[in-house]
Amino acid sequence: MRAVFLAAVAALALGGCTSQNLTIRRLPPETPAADNASAVKHAAELSAAATEASERARSRDASQAVTPLTAADAPSMYSYDPWERLNRYTYRFNAQFDEDIFLPVANEYRRLPSPIRSGVHNFFDNLSEPKSIVNFALQLRPVFGLHSLARFVINSTLGIGGLIDVAARLKLKSYFTGFSATLSKWGMHPGPYLVIPLLGPSTLRDGVGLLGDFGASYAINVADLYRGNKTWALGTLDAVDLRANTDFRYYASGSPFEYETIRFLYVHRELIEDEALHAKAPPKARDPGTPAGR
Amino acid sequence: MKWPLALLGLYGLLLTPAVASGAQPIAPAAASGPATGLADSAALRATVYGTPPQDIAPMPETVPLEEIDIALPWAKPVPEVFWFDRRLRVWFSAQNKPAPLAIVISGAGSDGNTSMLSTLRGALYGAGYHVLTMPSPTFPRFIVSASSTGVAGDLLQDSRDLYAAMRQIIAHFPHRVQITDIDVLGYSLGGANAAAVKSIDSVEGKLKIHRAVMINPPVSLFASIGRLDKLFAISIGSGDVGVERLYEKLYARIANVYRTSDQIGIGDSDLLAAATTVLKTDADFSATIALSFRISLVNVFFAGDLYAGTGVVVDPKHPPRVGDSLENIARVLRGKPFSEYFAKVFAPYYLAHRPNSTPESLMADNRLEIIGDALRDNSDYYAQANSDDPILTQPELAWLQSTLGNRIAVYDHGGHLGNLGDRRQISDMLDMLAGRWTPGP
Repeated sequence: MRAVFLAAVAALALGGCTSQNLTIRRLPPETPAADNASAVKHAAELSAAATEASERARSRDASQAVTPLTAADAPSMYSYDPWERLNRYTYRFNAQFDEDIFLPVANEYRRLPSPIRSGVHNFFDNLSEPKSIVNFALQLRPVFGLHSLARFVINSTLGIGGLIDVAARLKLKSYFTGFSATLSKWGMHPGPYLVIPLLGPSTLRDGVGLLGDFGASYAINVADLYRGNKTWALGTLDAVDLRANTDFRYYASGSPFEYETIRFLYVHRELIEDEALHAKAPPKARDPGTPAGR
Repeated sequence: MKWPLALLGLYGLLLTPAVASGAQPIAPAAASGPATGLADSAALRATVYGTPPQDIAPMPETVPLEEIDIALPWAKPVPEVFWFDRRLRVWFSAQNKPAPLAIVISGAGSDGNTSMLSTLRGALYGAGYHVLTMPSPTFPRFIVSASSTGVAGDLLQDSRDLYAAMRQIIAHFPHRVQITDIDVLGYSLGGANAAAVKSIDSVEGKLKIHRAVMINPPVSLFASIGRLDKLFAISIGSGDVGVERLYEKLYARIANVYRTSDQIGIGDSDLLAAATTVLKTDADFSATIALSFRISLVNVFFAGDLYAGTGVVVDPKHPPRVGDSLENIARVLRGKPFSEYFAKVFAPYYLAHRPNSTPESLMADNRLEIIGDALRDNSDYYAQANSDDPILTQPELAWLQSTLGNRIAVYDHGGHLGNLGDRRQISDMLDMLAGRWTPGP
């Protein structure tokens, strides 16, 4: 697998040097009728969720109320990015890798019948439950931890090793968490923005979180999947599955400001997740001059 | 969410012109009767939310899709900072039998594969057309790969570049594609481009374009942009300080949605839903529309300044490179209205390149009146407009009606593009393309 990977990187490097006048790529066909049907369903779910949320807010008693944030509590619009020059070159490398190798592979993968793809997707979701269980425990949130544990047991057995999400049919919704959220719970800020080669945008805390999560999965070693060469094969399939399910195209914006926009969205989304994790605590005092994430 | 790349899906969602199509939380307030003035509540909401999915016209089960990247011989040298925009990218859906070709042009600042184009592609393909969707000439990738000037915004010059690009693309179609007829259409600015392309073709005759349909076109591009800038000034304030204030307000509102829910982590569609629930007042909706337009303008301004060497934000001697931060440039440009692009980049460039022109003549050249005779006399031009469209004034709408006569459909509601894809708009559009449309009773 390592040899294949190195060959792919070499092909990318060489491919980047060629330029053609015309390329025609066949994409997976669009399915507008089905897409619209699911949009109708999604809109109905959203409006039901909105109604439920407003009712829940009304019935919540005063002692549980969280202090609402005001505009003054918002972090700076500008993100902390001390490694910007390196990050920008990595972003460019990632964009080229995605265009030449990753996305074409994911597009071919998307031609497989959808039951196979959803089986693969469920399998990897199920494999990530153990690290959620560990992290919910570290965050002292036993209810969510038990929830994930129940999902993992049900799906690994009744769901044939995780291929079928039986738990979802039993109304056990999935909640994922990771080591980055645990670090946040322990008081760590996102830190510098970080573009990881091949993986994409991140922050220092999320990067450490990824390592921690892999370490936990490696230590738990479900069904001995995290040892030897099969780790590489499974890791690659996991990556392709995730790419095939991610509706993003590097530079579809055409904009030279894409790096800034992605950084803004990534860092501020992480900060909003942090706000939710610390909802019971009063809003943090912020210095408006400090870049977001620091 | 276990991997950073997954988060990027957000980006596409947030920059989709109809910011939240399909995510409409609760039915928007309905207004009675056609609207006047800048825009009423219903028009603003329709503009932001787009057509509700349950109102979308019937769509085919599958539509084949090819992505074509083409290098155009007249493109200017590509600045390093635009390394990713080297070739023009268009999308093509071919019938497997001889069929007419519909070429669809995107709206201001948008790519050739937006969700609106996807809707139009589905409807047109379902009606038996080969479909080619193209970016707006104001989309950065078009400016870099297909513009002969690098300074976007001139209706006829941009449309000439579009026309030339269309000819190159069609010449490179695979042999299996058999075309019986060619029609052009477009939405928003793309509508004006479509009509201009047809008028250029009627002189040059290289493509023999049959019919053109304009969906929600501006009548005076610069006047429409002026109104969007006014909307920006009213709803956001002047300069980047206003954008920061808007950001702080929305950040607090979205964070509060999550602080009061027991949710863990933020999925893409969840955040989208949260973003739409936090838009409450007319001012919020106005700000969303104005900001989404301003973001497009930032790109046009940057590219124009770089290509024309006008030095407003880009030092012509030391253009930015791949590793350089563009944050400060973005910050400055977000605060600049179109009038500044016109005065500092567009007019200086065109005055130097177009003999006997004046700033006034440049503005006049961007009114649809310059092809008014063709629109009036040739029965192959059609339009669809909304009487509450915030980019049109009543006199402009009246001009469209008197010029096109019985070849324009005017709907009471929809704001700007807020009814694109609904059953009536699609069935009228298909009738127009087939030359069988007549105004209803």
